[in-house]
Amino acid sequence: MTSKVRATSHPVPAPPEQSLTATLRRATGMIALAVAIAWAWHGTGFELGRLASSLGPLTEFLGRMTPPDLSALEVAWRSTAETLQIAVLGTFLAVVLSIPPALLAAANLTPAWIHQPIRWVLALMRGIPLLLLALMFVAALGLGPVPGVLAIAVHSIGMLAKFYADAFESARPGPIEALDSAGANWLQRVRYGVLTQVAPDLARDTLFRFELNLRESLVLGLVGAGGIGFYIQLYIRSFQYTRVATLTLVILVIVVLVEQGSVAIRHRLR
Amino acid sequence: MSESVLRLRDLRVCYGSRPPVLDVQALEIDAGEIVCLIGPSGAGKTTLLRLANGYVRAESGELEVLGSRFRFGLDDSNKQRDQTIRQRIGFVFQGFNVVERASVFNNVLWGSLGRQRGLGVLLSRFPESDQRLAMGAIAEVDLLEQATRRVDTLSGGQQQRVGVARVIVQQPDLVLADEPVSSLDPVLAAEIVELLVEVARRHGATLIMSLHLPALAQRFASRVIGLRSGGVVWDGDAQALDDIAIAAIYGSETSLPAPESGR
Repeated sequence: MTSKVRATSHPVPAPPEQSLTATLRRATGMIALAVAIAWAWHGTGFELGRLASSLGPLTEFLGRMTPPDLSALEVAWRSTAETLQIAVLGTFLAVVLSIPPALLAAANLTPAWIHQPIRWVLALMRGIPLLLLALMFVAALGLGPVPGVLAIAVHSIGMLAKFYADAFESARPGPIEALDSAGANWLQRVRYGVLTQVAPDLARDTLFRFELNLRESLVLGLVGAGGIGFYIQLYIRSFQYTRVATLTLVILVIVVLVEQGSVAIRHRLR
Repeated sequence: MSESVLRLRDLRVCYGSRPPVLDVQALEIDAGEIVCLIGPSGAGKTTLLRLANGYVRAESGELEVLGSRFRFGLDDSNKQRDQTIRQRIGFVFQGFNVVERASVFNNVLWGSLGRQRGLGVLLSRFPESDQRLAMGAIAEVDLLEQATRRVDTLSGGQQQRVGVARVIVQQPDLVLADEPVSSLDPVLAAEIVELLVEVARRHGATLIMSLHLPALAQRFASRVIGLRSGGVVWDGDAQALDDIAIAAIYGSETSLPAPESGR
């Protein structure tokens, strides 16, 4: 039998009162959120009635996509392979290009006057849209997958380098100090003290970025930077919706497969 | 007369404007000594050890470590001291500070990093001689069976053995140990302290360790230094350390607490 905690004979102090400022703050937050939603609803002309009436055209459009034209399968696989290649090579280049700035952006590896400005630059880089980069590289290098690879690589650095830097910062300082006390230099401490500790985090971040890159590189073809997006755009413009359907299905299969694979790999990382 | 390994003169360490955490008029430790620092928390044990390997700077005074002299407060000529001297000073940490995802062998081998030059070492290419040294050290701390296992699969006592083996591979002249056994149970603690003393004797290194249990100091050290409020309040043969001395070092903290008054 478990004994019950004996009731105390001391007078029980009153629980803390809800402070007025906390209540006000919460109310202000709720009102601000409601205003933002109303503003967006009104501004976009979002009407439930119009949505219901557009159900007809929508189903008609879907009807025009069926049955998927399997003669487009060959094009679908070939261009999907190109999209995958863009994502793989773009991610690889991004990893290589992200490591140096990431090392410099980690607060436990460099002084503030180095890591702060680098972090600002990375934040700026995250703000550049992928399609803008792709357009720039297509203008400079012409059509094809190469500008796509470069766009993906440059676009990824802002995020990947920040994630890597955060991972470096999560390394326990003790082991790094131990290597320092054994006389290890900066590079040796980074290699054995930091990288060894955070390797699984780096792998996870890289996989995540690869998944994003795969999905983002699907649209690169819209601006002529290679991959399956080019054909989607081509078939839509020439009203070959049954072919669009085939391409969409292939994309679905690839994205699901890659996600499953990356979940399986992530499970193994520790 | 043997040569001194560590010498302090009129040394003061302050953090901010509070009273000094370390204030030592004169202290000298000779080569080959096995010294224990004891004293209550905040007495300056850790500060003294970290001062010796350059992690802490003094406000004023003179410090001589392994033949290199540093004058504090006058000029800032101590900036270069760190890596060259530090390589000759092994440090055993309270929290073990091993790289948990790495194997026992790698952790121990990395004790040799201070000697490694060039970029090959960044690709895990270590000289054959250092690899052999690492295996020897692992044997010395009795972890041969665990040599290829990841350190995070080991117990606390075994992890500290890895820390000791890493220091063996470093081949230091001076070994500093900051509360190396405070997170271990008493039996394991005694084992690790004994191991540290054996290792220091066998390799001809001087050992200075801080311990929270005076009994361990009495049992294993040759000399005990009692610190209190940053000053040396006791310094002598471990055999001479009696209950009166311990009470003096720890102050009223060792006296029995008064029974709690009921209501």
